[in-house]
Amino acid sequence: MNNSVALELKNITKTFGKVVANNNVNLTLKKGEILSILGENGSGKTTLMNMISGIYYPDEGQIFIDGKEVVISSPEDAFKYKIGMIHQHFKLVDVFTAAENIVLGINEKFNLKKVNSRVEEIASKYGFEIDAKKYIYNMAVSEKQTVEIIKVLYRGADILILDEPTAVLTPQETKKLFDVLRKMREDGKSIIIITHKLNEVMEISDRVAILRKGEYVDTVETSNTNEKQLTEMMVGKKIDLKIERTETDFDKPLLELRNLNIKGDDGSKKIEDVSFYIRGGEILGVAGIAGCGQKELCEAIAGLRKIESGAICHKGESIVGLPAKQIIEKGISMSFIPEDRLGMGLAPNFSITDNMMLKTYNNNKGIFVDRKTARKNAEELIKKLEIVTPSTETPVRRLSGGNVQKVLVGREIESSPNVIVTAYPVRGLDINSSYAIYNILNDQKANGTGILFIGEDLDVMLALCDKIMVLCHGKNMGIVHAKKTNKEELGLMMTGSLDLSEIKNKEYGKAKDSNLTEEEWQQEHLKNENMGDNDND
Amino acid sequence: MKKFITFLLTVTMAFGSMSLFTACKKTDPVAALICLHGEGSSYDKNFIDAFKAACEAKGLTEDQYTVVVDIPEGQECYDKAAEFADAGYKAIFADSFGHEKYMIQAAREFPNTQFCHATGTAGGFANTEDTTDDAPANFHNAFASIYEGRYLAGVAAGLKLIDLYGDDITNDEAKIGYVGAWPFAEVKSGLTSFYLGVKSIVANVTMEVRFTNSWYDPVAEQQAAEALIQGGAKLISGHADSYGVPTACKNSNIPNVFYNGTTEEDTFVIASKINWQPYFEHMLDGVLTEGATIQADYCGTLANGSVQITALGDAAAPGTQAKLDEVKAKLISGEIKVFDCSTFTVTITPDNPNTEAFDGINTNATVDQNGHLTAYNADVIDVGDYLGETNVVKTEGGKTFFAESFFRSAPYFDLIIDGITVGADVVSPAA
Amino acid sequence: MTNNTKTVREPLLHIVKRDNITLGKKIAIYAIAIVASLLLGAIICSLVSTRGDVIKFFSSLFEGCFGTTRLFWLFLQEFAILLAVSMALIVSFKMKFWNLGGNGQILMGGLAAIACSYYLGGKVDDTLLIVIEVFASILAGAIWAVIPAICKALWNTNESLFTLMLNYIAAGLVNLFIAIWVKGGSGILNPLANGKLPELGNKYLLIILFGILITTIITIYLKYSKHGYELSVVGDSQNTAKYIGINVKKVIIRTLILSGAICGLVGLLLTSGTSNSISADTAANRGFTAIMTTWLANCNPLFAIATCGLVVFVTKGMQKVRPNFGMLDDTISNLVIGIVYFFIIACAFFIQYKIVFNPQVTAKLNKIKAFFANIFKKKKPLNENEKEGE
Repeated sequence: MNNSVALELKNITKTFGKVVANNNVNLTLKKGEILSILGENGSGKTTLMNMISGIYYPDEGQIFIDGKEVVISSPEDAFKYKIGMIHQHFKLVDVFTAAENIVLGINEKFNLKKVNSRVEEIASKYGFEIDAKKYIYNMAVSEKQTVEIIKVLYRGADILILDEPTAVLTPQETKKLFDVLRKMREDGKSIIIITHKLNEVMEISDRVAILRKGEYVDTVETSNTNEKQLTEMMVGKKIDLKIERTETDFDKPLLELRNLNIKGDDGSKKIEDVSFYIRGGEILGVAGIAGCGQKELCEAIAGLRKIESGAICHKGESIVGLPAKQIIEKGISMSFIPEDRLGMGLAPNFSITDNMMLKTYNNNKGIFVDRKTARKNAEELIKKLEIVTPSTETPVRRLSGGNVQKVLVGREIESSPNVIVTAYPVRGLDINSSYAIYNILNDQKANGTGILFIGEDLDVMLALCDKIMVLCHGKNMGIVHAKKTNKEELGLMMTGSLDLSEIKNKEYGKAKDSNLTEEEWQQEHLKNENMGDNDND
Repeated sequence: MKKFITFLLTVTMAFGSMSLFTACKKTDPVAALICLHGEGSSYDKNFIDAFKAACEAKGLTEDQYTVVVDIPEGQECYDKAAEFADAGYKAIFADSFGHEKYMIQAAREFPNTQFCHATGTAGGFANTEDTTDDAPANFHNAFASIYEGRYLAGVAAGLKLIDLYGDDITNDEAKIGYVGAWPFAEVKSGLTSFYLGVKSIVANVTMEVRFTNSWYDPVAEQQAAEALIQGGAKLISGHADSYGVPTACKNSNIPNVFYNGTTEEDTFVIASKINWQPYFEHMLDGVLTEGATIQADYCGTLANGSVQITALGDAAAPGTQAKLDEVKAKLISGEIKVFDCSTFTVTITPDNPNTEAFDGINTNATVDQNGHLTAYNADVIDVGDYLGETNVVKTEGGKTFFAESFFRSAPYFDLIIDGITVGADVVSPAA
Repeated sequence: MTNNTKTVREPLLHIVKRDNITLGKKIAIYAIAIVASLLLGAIICSLVSTRGDVIKFFSSLFEGCFGTTRLFWLFLQEFAILLAVSMALIVSFKMKFWNLGGNGQILMGGLAAIACSYYLGGKVDDTLLIVIEVFASILAGAIWAVIPAICKALWNTNESLFTLMLNYIAAGLVNLFIAIWVKGGSGILNPLANGKLPELGNKYLLIILFGILITTIITIYLKYSKHGYELSVVGDSQNTAKYIGINVKKVIIRTLILSGAICGLVGLLLTSGTSNSISADTAANRGFTAIMTTWLANCNPLFAIATCGLVVFVTKGMQKVRPNFGMLDDTISNLVIGIVYFFIIACAFFIQYKIVFNPQVTAKLNKIKAFFANIFKKKKPLNENEKEGE
């Protein structure tokens, strides 16, 4: 009976059908420590944590808390044992205040005033900043995360589990979070962080437990290891995690956007006076916190959303107002992947073959679709990109995230585009798949394709992209060379604290060797304004 | 997995072979009854009860007769009748007006089976001009002179009104209501004879009629009765197959005269009904007894028990039974004629010359200077043209009367006589 | 297997979402459900009536569908009609357009056909009349379906409500025309003289062939044609469809024209192809029954054959059970049919989820499984021994 052990997992196994998510995992969590669970996407980290927090029930194995064996069959049980989980996707009610969310589900009478004061007490103890009376829909992402953390602290959690907490935070916010976590550790709380980011593991954790493909590898002291070792344990072999930035000769601008103004579905301004361009053979990254306008920007380029004003020219010709199909035919390929990945690019219930046909099904004559050719293409793609799938006819929704992404990107490449717009292409992918995607993009870049890369992992973007544009609330905060900037600068731009266009008094995003002259640009602006007038809103 | 499927298949085959085996063991079937609705409808229940009683009286076993319900007035009726004929049934009976064409269709196909039908108009008329209406020899119609029963029920109703409001009953109190299904002869004959029965006791009675345009629509029937009660009716009767009217009467504590069934309510006065058992026994005789045949157009009467009135309900006035017995005897002897033309007057409104539609009222009637009927061309031979061609007013023993059920078992009295008004239709929304 | 002895009482079972399920298992689950529901129905019927028992229930079911030649034809005819209506709904449902107006579209098709016969019968040549009827019924059914489709495409109205309401309007129209045509006020339209569809051999073959034809056409249409592909994309993800340039509005309208046209033809067959008359009940609720069969078939035309066959088997079978058991109204019959539907729907739970018992219970269950497996296994060695003995 080790009193310093807060939580112990013995021989935990969990299977979903044929897939073994966790196989004989052993884990110990000491009191007053921060433990990182490190593993690639798909290694079983989240499943394991879900069993601790009562969402799943282990098929085999035992859980011990404070030395006593327990059965956690529901989140309520988890709360009983003072375990609190902060999920990647927040579970908050938008129309309630922070205090109301925190108290939601507690089966006692409460007095909101008392709740507010207790919330503020907890916050100040660990260094959070929170306004308990603020409504969730008014909050930024990091504030919402704070509410989630306080929610579990309010219920007296001694063991906290955070699932990929830094995925949605800027570098500055990440630093703040880590300060808070350290304070909690000093208070005797035990914290588990699930992450796949090695630099963060090295920075914050005391020990690291590594999972690989559902198996438990080892737990090491952070001070005794380094990123290389961790990578090797995580992936299973020595691998160089460096992302290549292919050197190319940049071509003339392929896609130029000037003074774009785009409204969102709710009528608010999503993109405000943004200009940028993409050269052939160049990767332009777009960084920004969630909701900064990336989705609307992509839709506008693809022809799925009207712009209020501005101009978009491809190889000197305007593409504003063109139907989506024509834009595709011009060679502008979109692989925009929202949260569920199976949004606009793929039809989830279709097979790979049928998805391959999405853009080309009408090309052959006659009233029947040509599945033979599409099937051949699918088979070639599966071989080339090493897509793991039972067959070409498997519905795409049954593939794992990485393979879905490969199908999507693979299909886009098939049509030999000259401009690729890709958003969050490696979200949820394991390392091998991620690097496969980077390689594909680099190959395309070497072929002279211009790539717009919207991403969330600043480290990746700094390594892969040539230039990075930062959007904040729809405004262009500046375009910087990746070689010449760092995470902190990007982080400041993302939150709006640093506006390069103001400071440097430069107009970003207008190419000197543009395809159109200034007069021609003016004409385009006028044309598009008139188009907007004709559609009454 | 495979073993399990094998097991399943074996079970299925076992059942299949059992079913064929049991199917072979059929005893000799005799009679089948096809009903429009089921026992929830007083109309059909009347047939079902009589059919069962008749079969048992003739000594048939349970396997030899069968009843099917919810057979619509469409192709399904033909399918069912043919199915029975295939299975060897000797006599098949369908109980609703709209079944007729399909029964005739089956009759043509199975000349050795007897097809009988209630309320129809084709039997007994070998109309050689229009072969589609030609009823073959193995097709028979049946009905009864129910108007006599209605008249008796009307007498009971009249006595109830006197009981409630006294001999000096005012015009406002002498108001009754009637919920009818469809505005054609079968219904009009019933409501008129009922009215005349009441009038024989309460001379100043008036009646309002509302139609629901459906044989069976509990909601509409109840709503119609409620509307009539709202309009001042002191007693309700009707010709519709559900219990909607009695329900409304019970809720408003208004006396009710029912049809084809009884209710346990304390507002129940009496009901008239057709007893089909005499006919069914006649039908069974026709197929079981050597040399016997079924009448082409059978009309049951008060005398032979086909027309009956039920036992009096709690709401009946004292002394009713004696009076009814008296009137019944006179009906049987012919001393009282229900449609005695001297007891009612008719107003004629000609067709509108500007339209092609038949929109006049009582246009086939001829009346004398006092409004009494002297002649009437009824549409007895029903070839779908709705034209009256037979004068059905007779004079016998000094009385001039409308000879209902004489020329044909199914009613053809479709006049609206004075004293009866037709209110707005009450139709429930399509469900 | 782990060796640790549990010190805590585990829950008896927990429910796990299935990742995937083989087709064989799916069929087995459905088969068990159907047999179980029929068994339950049989028990209920035998308790309620003195004239029958469980065996007689099942034999009546088979008798009602296959007992005589005529009954078999009627079974096939009803099968074909329900299948055709299911096809009409499949193309619409696959596009996630909930066409609940099958009844109305059938009625309008039938009404158009009968109206042609009523007004033109005798005035034009009968063959020409039939041709006109065919076009009229297709047109009427298509229009009845396309009105809600256009409203959905242009103004995103709710198609479920709209198509449902049109059912009532259609029934009202039928009653209206009958009231106009039948002056006696009986509400029954007697079979018309002209414009009856020709019989191929017997009364039923035309309808049956139509059912087979439509099923084949729709299966090919959905799987192999460009239209079918576009329709599936629109149903799977409207965003994706828009992105690749499919004109979603056009696809919706086009598909509903097809759906309504098929229903219209069914209406033609149910009127001019049978009694040459019409009533508000002509559709006999097939528009709704087809929703059930389409849904159970997961909008797959070939599965729909199985579900329609099952539904028609049970319905027609119950029509024989009723008289055989002396049941004089349809309450018990509806109850049994309802039980069958209910069990089938409940299947969906077992197909999506698996029940996992805790280890103690699992061990006991394994023992029982092994016991049964041994029974089947014993047969094999016997055969081999016999062969060796020869």
